[in-house]
Amino acid sequence: TDEGTHERRVEGAPVNRPVHADLYSHTAIPVKFSGKQQASHYLYVREHRVREGTKSSWPQKRTLFVLNVPPYCTEECLSRLLSPCGPVRSVELQEKPDLAESPKEPQSKFFQPKPIPGFQVAYVVFQKPGGVSAALALKGPLLVSTESHPVKSGVHKWISDYRDSVLDPEALRAEVDTFMEAYDKKVAEEEAKAQEEEGVPDEEGWVKVTRRGRRPVLPRTEAASLRVLERERRKRARKELLNFYAWQHRETKMEHLAQLRKKFEEDKQRIELMRAQRKFRPY
Amino acid sequence: MGPAPAGAQVRGAAGEPEVMEPALEGTGKKGKKGSSKKRTVAGSPGEGLLQPVKLSRAELYKEPTNEELNRLRETESLFHSSLLRLQVEELLKEVRLSEKKKERIDAFLREVNQRIMRIPSTPETEEILQDKDGLNQRYFRKRALYLAHLAHHLAQDPLFGSVHFSYTNGCHLKPSLLLRPHGKDERLVTVRLHPCPPPDFFRPCRLLPSKNNVRSAWYRGQSPPGNGSPEPPTPHYNTWVLQDTALESHMQLLSTVLGSALGLKDGVALLKIWLRQRELDKGLGGFSGFLVSMLVAFLVSTRKIHTTMSGYQVLRSVLQFLATTDLTVNGISLCLSSDPSLPALADFHQAFPVVFLDSSGRLNLCADVTASTYHQVQHEARLSMVLLDSKADDGFQLLLMTPKPMIRAFDHVLHLHPLSRLQAACHRLKLWPELQDHGGDYVSAALGPLTTLLEQGLGSRLHLLAHSRPPVSEWDISQDPPKHRDSGTLTLGLLLRPEGLTSVLELGPEADQPEAADFRQFWGSRSELRRFQDGAIREAVVWEAASMAQKRLIPHQVVTHLLALHADIPDTCVHYMGGLLDVLMQGLKETSSTGEEALAAAVRCYDDLSRLLWGLEGLPLTVSAVQGAHPVLRYTEVFPPAPIQPAYSFFEHLREQASLLPRPDKPCPAYVEPMTVICHLEGSGQWPQDAEAIRRVRAAFQLRLAELLTQQHGLRCRATATHTDVLKDGFVFRICVAYQREPQILKEMRSPEGMISLRDTPASLCLERATRQLPLLTSALHGLQQQHPAFSGVARLAKRWVRAQLLGEGFTDESLDLVAAALFLHPEPFTPPSSPEVGFLRFLFLVSTFDWKNNPLIVNLNNELTVEEQVEIRSGFLATRLQLPVMVVYTPQDRKSSVWTQDGPSPQILQRLVVLAAEALPVLEKQLMDPRGPGDIRTVFRPPLDMYDVLIRLSPRHIPRHRQAVDSPAASFCRGLLSEPGSLSLMPVLGYDPPQLYLAQLREAFGHLALFFYDQHGGEVIGVLWKPASFQPQPFKASNTKGRMVVSQGEELVLVPNVEAILEDFAILGEGLVQAVEARSERWTV
Repeated sequence: TDEGTHERRVEGAPVNRPVHADLYSHTAIPVKFSGKQQASHYLYVREHRVREGTKSSWPQKRTLFVLNVPPYCTEECLSRLLSPCGPVRSVELQEKPDLAESPKEPQSKFFQPKPIPGFQVAYVVFQKPGGVSAALALKGPLLVSTESHPVKSGVHKWISDYRDSVLDPEALRAEVDTFMEAYDKKVAEEEAKAQEEEGVPDEEGWVKVTRRGRRPVLPRTEAASLRVLERERRKRARKELLNFYAWQHRETKMEHLAQLRKKFEEDKQRIELMRAQRKFRPY
Repeated sequence: MGPAPAGAQVRGAAGEPEVMEPALEGTGKKGKKGSSKKRTVAGSPGEGLLQPVKLSRAELYKEPTNEELNRLRETESLFHSSLLRLQVEELLKEVRLSEKKKERIDAFLREVNQRIMRIPSTPETEEILQDKDGLNQRYFRKRALYLAHLAHHLAQDPLFGSVHFSYTNGCHLKPSLLLRPHGKDERLVTVRLHPCPPPDFFRPCRLLPSKNNVRSAWYRGQSPPGNGSPEPPTPHYNTWVLQDTALESHMQLLSTVLGSALGLKDGVALLKIWLRQRELDKGLGGFSGFLVSMLVAFLVSTRKIHTTMSGYQVLRSVLQFLATTDLTVNGISLCLSSDPSLPALADFHQAFPVVFLDSSGRLNLCADVTASTYHQVQHEARLSMVLLDSKADDGFQLLLMTPKPMIRAFDHVLHLHPLSRLQAACHRLKLWPELQDHGGDYVSAALGPLTTLLEQGLGSRLHLLAHSRPPVSEWDISQDPPKHRDSGTLTLGLLLRPEGLTSVLELGPEADQPEAADFRQFWGSRSELRRFQDGAIREAVVWEAASMAQKRLIPHQVVTHLLALHADIPDTCVHYMGGLLDVLMQGLKETSSTGEEALAAAVRCYDDLSRLLWGLEGLPLTVSAVQGAHPVLRYTEVFPPAPIQPAYSFFEHLREQASLLPRPDKPCPAYVEPMTVICHLEGSGQWPQDAEAIRRVRAAFQLRLAELLTQQHGLRCRATATHTDVLKDGFVFRICVAYQREPQILKEMRSPEGMISLRDTPASLCLERATRQLPLLTSALHGLQQQHPAFSGVARLAKRWVRAQLLGEGFTDESLDLVAAALFLHPEPFTPPSSPEVGFLRFLFLVSTFDWKNNPLIVNLNNELTVEEQVEIRSGFLATRLQLPVMVVYTPQDRKSSVWTQDGPSPQILQRLVVLAAEALPVLEKQLMDPRGPGDIRTVFRPPLDMYDVLIRLSPRHIPRHRQAVDSPAASFCRGLLSEPGSLSLMPVLGYDPPQLYLAQLREAFGHLALFFYDQHGGEVIGVLWKPASFQPQPFKASNTKGRMVVSQGEELVLVPNVEAILEDFAILGEGLVQAVEARSERWTV
């Protein structure tokens, strides 16, 4: 149990002593913001492994999977904290475990605002497999902010975030222009391709009818098809006779009665509820 | 006087439904009611929830029985709807005396009768009463002595639990004896003994309203004035004597008319409830249950009511009659005789404000009813008729079940205290004959003239003036009766006319007109000669009032001035309850305004900006609409923005962006929130049809807008991808470009077959809300403010209160604005509030009593929804209840999804608000009804903090809105603002509010473990509540590890929150802002 499996003991541990067990193959590494704090959080780390056949873009053996990364711990920070174990190639923080590497497309700082971090998971890729095993043997506690590498928090962080949020409009303009150029090019290409295919039968001999043809057709949308159905229904309804036969009369009356009955039942239910809430005591 | 009259009275009492009332009063019952409400609200979500009715086909379509058809037919003809019928039946069941109780009461009455018969040495009538006893209160004094004799004997009887004196209908000359049974039945029944003279004892002609029966010589203890002026008539005195002689015949009349017809009895019971809910039936001159029963008898005699009518129809007919007739001008009479010796109605009109004669033709049943009380009854009847005709779904609830206490019904309320002051007022108003008539009751004597005086003075500002009636006191037979001054306070309620409140001028006649003298006399020193623009020279009174808030309080000035001038009542005795909550809406430096002017200034600036946008040259597409989308632009921002003037030395400068930045070494700069404006651009083929591309094009427009506004109008702008901030005249606006079709493009989904269908996505809903629904709502509420000037105040007080209770984050701004709007659009059974206070009280009442579980709050903006549509919305609501948020608010633009409450409140937060509102309402109402002054009006705005597990104390240095706090700090930090306007060219720091940034971080990191509560208006503390569920030990899983640690629990290894580290995190994340983290409970130890 507790005594048998645990290997390391941390000073100032809480009353419910945390178990630094290699739990489900995870190792707990205490982490603190700085030396001033008493209690620590625990990074739960293990080697990144996937079941046979599962695709993962993270390299096997060299990737360390880290759970419970505190909000003030950034990617650079984690890289710095783990570099003693061996050279770190990349650190990626994510909200939840995701096997696929996030798209490496450059994130636009204009269109994707920086999210507020919570507790995250990290994939740390070392240069060599040795880094992972060294990390698993880390004793901690790791300190996020040190004198040599202070990490901003609180007021200082908000002020620097504010400064970062004031962006250069010219850079925005340039980015928009580049994007639109590429977009226009893409659209033009698609147009050209569509133009080419216009009226050309495929191998089975079908011809695709598009909006651009000589005789444009309705776009194929749900709304349009609903409209057509509704029109059909109304056309049919116009042809029907109402209250013409005796049975129709009888049915209309019965329908009215059924409506009243339904209403009555609803009302009774409401009254029942109000009675239960003593809504009928006037004062 | 033998025992017979007393016996007759006992019989009468048995027939009088008044006996029912004590059975309903009882404090024990009230307590039960309160607890039951709590229970139903707190119940599990499924419990107490209306389910859509499911009837099988066989049940729905079975052959109807005759009985069923009859009932359905009856419902259609006698009631509005089956619901109303059921509700009325339930209500009557609730107030009707049960057979068992009736038996017990009858037995008690028989006992009482026997005991009275057995009282020894009771003198006979002839021995006591003598000729001319009608004069000079002789009859009343003998009557009181007789009663004292009875009381003395009955008090020794063990049958009675208590023997008290009281006044008959509050008339202090006519005591009555209250007998309550001993033991457990003490609360069951009160028997009132009224001694009466034999029916023919007084000659009726001596008691006509024009006769005098209280001689001045006797009353004033001096010989009549030497000039031989005639004795003043004593109509009220005469009536009181007549009432005693007619008592028995009235009872007989009522029992013959009402006895046989069940519908009439039900109708009377409903009417009594109606009156009671409106506090109209109690005290001297109240519109009592007896009066309304007589009114029913009158309407039966004139065939306006038939004996076959249902209770509901009787109620409706009586209300209709009250609403459409005026008994102050055309009195009515139950008397059918055409005897010429009878006095004419006109004689009665001369002596009494309201005239309703009994069957003798000599007694005015409404003798004590003041004109004000009667007008109030009329007003209520009219409101009720409108309500009944509107076929509102909850008409029954509003008509009969909703109490209308004075403090909640009237815009302003004032207390006259101490009452003894009215004695001097009577002398000042020369009311000696009235005093003589009322037997020295100076409160009643002064009431009529005082209300007339105030009604005249308030003129067009006043819709209705009502007064409280002195309560009917009760005292032990061994005590002295209460004095007039002991009857507490005279409370007047003013229902104001919003359109009359805008004027500061009281225009009088031209100086040379004869009426000018009257005007001067009426207004005293306040009346001045003024020359007007049209050249006329007139008498006029001008009140000092610059702001909306001050104009609302002109009635206060009028009332104190007139009372001091004409009635000798100094302003120390006038306790005016109006504008007391204004302090909670006032900015630091403004004490004379509640912000309506500042909001209007911001709106004007916005109008200017929108004109600039319309006229902008050089945009590739034209502007198709400019719409406001910010609370300021609908007048509901609690603290309106002021034009700002930053002191540059206080900030760091970002040269290339011409912007100011906060400095770490300085206190947090003033908070500036940009006001959102949506700018729609015309649709065009040039817009791309791809969501990502549209965003880029919009960004390009934002940049272009900034360029053009700077070039063409010299405004400082800063563009980002989603908005352009514009600095104009010290206000900052955030212009967001929108493209009509963008939400639709976000919704488009292509099925595998190539069919394009539209499906809501989070992004499309969000965009639709921001660019379509929010502007519509803003303009609708802007319009509401133009119709109801008090809307701004009510909405802001309501929001202020919710935020002060630290619940602001749970509710969107818009949802609270809509609840406030509902108070104006659906004020029933009240009228739309004309003062922020009364609106706020009704907000608390609505929030605490509305059945959010089973009803949507439908806010019919611009009156767009018809009754049928509302019914449809309600049934749609029931069918989809479980998918809808806990609090559902619908508008004509939003009939299905309740967009503004989609993301909250959670059931717990709503429940908390309901509980807090239910607690705050009585506290605040008690404060406002306290004649000695309201005490600390901020009490209900201070949040209880004892429920939180952790308190995070913040440093005021970094709270930019510190001075907005409910208890505004005496000193705070400099926020880098100049008091003088200077040249302004750099963009100020926008939307920088450290507590909000901190909270966002806390919620992101610990939202799964705890709830965070904060008052954005200068709160110095964040309340943290651990979520109990998250403290359950969890198995080890990657998704469970956040902020948790592994501990061993028995044999197992589980995850529990790492509380100690988290508490330290609170301090780390808020470094500089956080002063202290106080863990206050040990609940989190696992």
